[in-house]
Amino acid sequence: MVSQNNYHGIFHHIALTGSEASEIRLLCDLEQPEPTWTVRHVGGSMRGAGADQISVLVRTMVESKVSKNVLRLFYLLGYKLDHELLRVGFAFHFQRGAQITVTVSSVNKMLKLHATDEAVPVTPGIQLVEVTAPASAENYNEVAAAVSSFCEYLAPLLHLSKPGVSTGVVPTAAAAAASLMSYGGTTIM
Amino acid sequence: MPIKWVLHWQPNAGHTVSSQILAEVSQCVESINGVKEGKWKATLSFYRPVLKEQANAAEFPRDFLGISLPEQPSKYYFVLRGQRLVLEADSTIQTIMEKLQSYKTRVALNFEGFQYQLGDFQLRVGKVVSIQSESLRGIVMEMEYRPISSWEKSHKIMGEFFDIWQEALSKRSLPGHFVHMEPNFGEFGLSGQYTLQHTAVQYATIMLQMIATAQSVRN
Repeated sequence: MVSQNNYHGIFHHIALTGSEASEIRLLCDLEQPEPTWTVRHVGGSMRGAGADQISVLVRTMVESKVSKNVLRLFYLLGYKLDHELLRVGFAFHFQRGAQITVTVSSVNKMLKLHATDEAVPVTPGIQLVEVTAPASAENYNEVAAAVSSFCEYLAPLLHLSKPGVSTGVVPTAAAAAASLMSYGGTTIM
Repeated sequence: MPIKWVLHWQPNAGHTVSSQILAEVSQCVESINGVKEGKWKATLSFYRPVLKEQANAAEFPRDFLGISLPEQPSKYYFVLRGQRLVLEADSTIQTIMEKLQSYKTRVALNFEGFQYQLGDFQLRVGKVVSIQSESLRGIVMEMEYRPISSWEKSHKIMGEFFDIWQEALSKRSLPGHFVHMEPNFGEFGLSGQYTLQHTAVQYATIMLQMIATAQSVRN
């Protein structure tokens, strides 16, 4: 099965002053009739020889859906806004050995705080494609394999690299959405 | 969501809370035909900032609380009482707070006891104990009226029931009484329709009072 939804949200990156480790993301989903908020903590990536051999990045992530005054809470706790980004695009959901989510989005910065109307693309004409899947300590090897093989299907149109491993921006990235839609329509359904 | 009043036991001057009082209160609920239903438990944590330099302490909020309620174990509530803020979050927020290491639990309290059914009312009587020491810190009582969820509309019937309860309890001549404190929910951005965020704010409010009482006894 494949399903698709629009993707439109602000990513607030906030951190406690003087503490690099205490960084957190507050996501505001603007696609809902009422904006919904999520707190996301992204931990350090798995390291070592085993991690190097896997073609995807494995890291801990904890999310919590929260009420809308979360930004004010973290400000009051002493956190400061580091930067915010607006991401607009599509999310595709596949069930293929793992619950795979592919987002194709343009990343925009805002000239004024929260001013989504005045957002400008960070990399005009280039879309960011991310493939993610939830995994546990027990099954991450299988999930990593499922994500890898999924990415291989996309290889003719799209070359995906492991985050942090810079293999350059691929010029065909803009075709990602079309590729995913045809993929979902022919192979998986 | 049914309306609820959270009450706390205020000992008379020169007295402290005791398990004897708790037992008498529970007996009193049964004497007015409260039917014992089962146990309940809520937890409350006081957080303190993890500071590199103590001098900065004034910049951080002092009364930052986290509360979990038995009605909705998958949720967790933060209250910054001084700043009039209440936040509802998935309970995974506790894991996130642990990972962030910016605030740590200073004191953790359990509120636990039995709940009783009395017509359309549900009563919960509970002891307040510190998780570390199990020593009795206070007594709380939740008074819930199921048919109404509007704070304003329920005020009369809640007040009347509270009077009946006070009268029943007064026959036992205990050294203290239950107090109802009504926070200004509007200041917290909450409407008149009752939610669990209202309950969290009430717990934060009675904690303040219980700490003040404990301090006045010590002094």
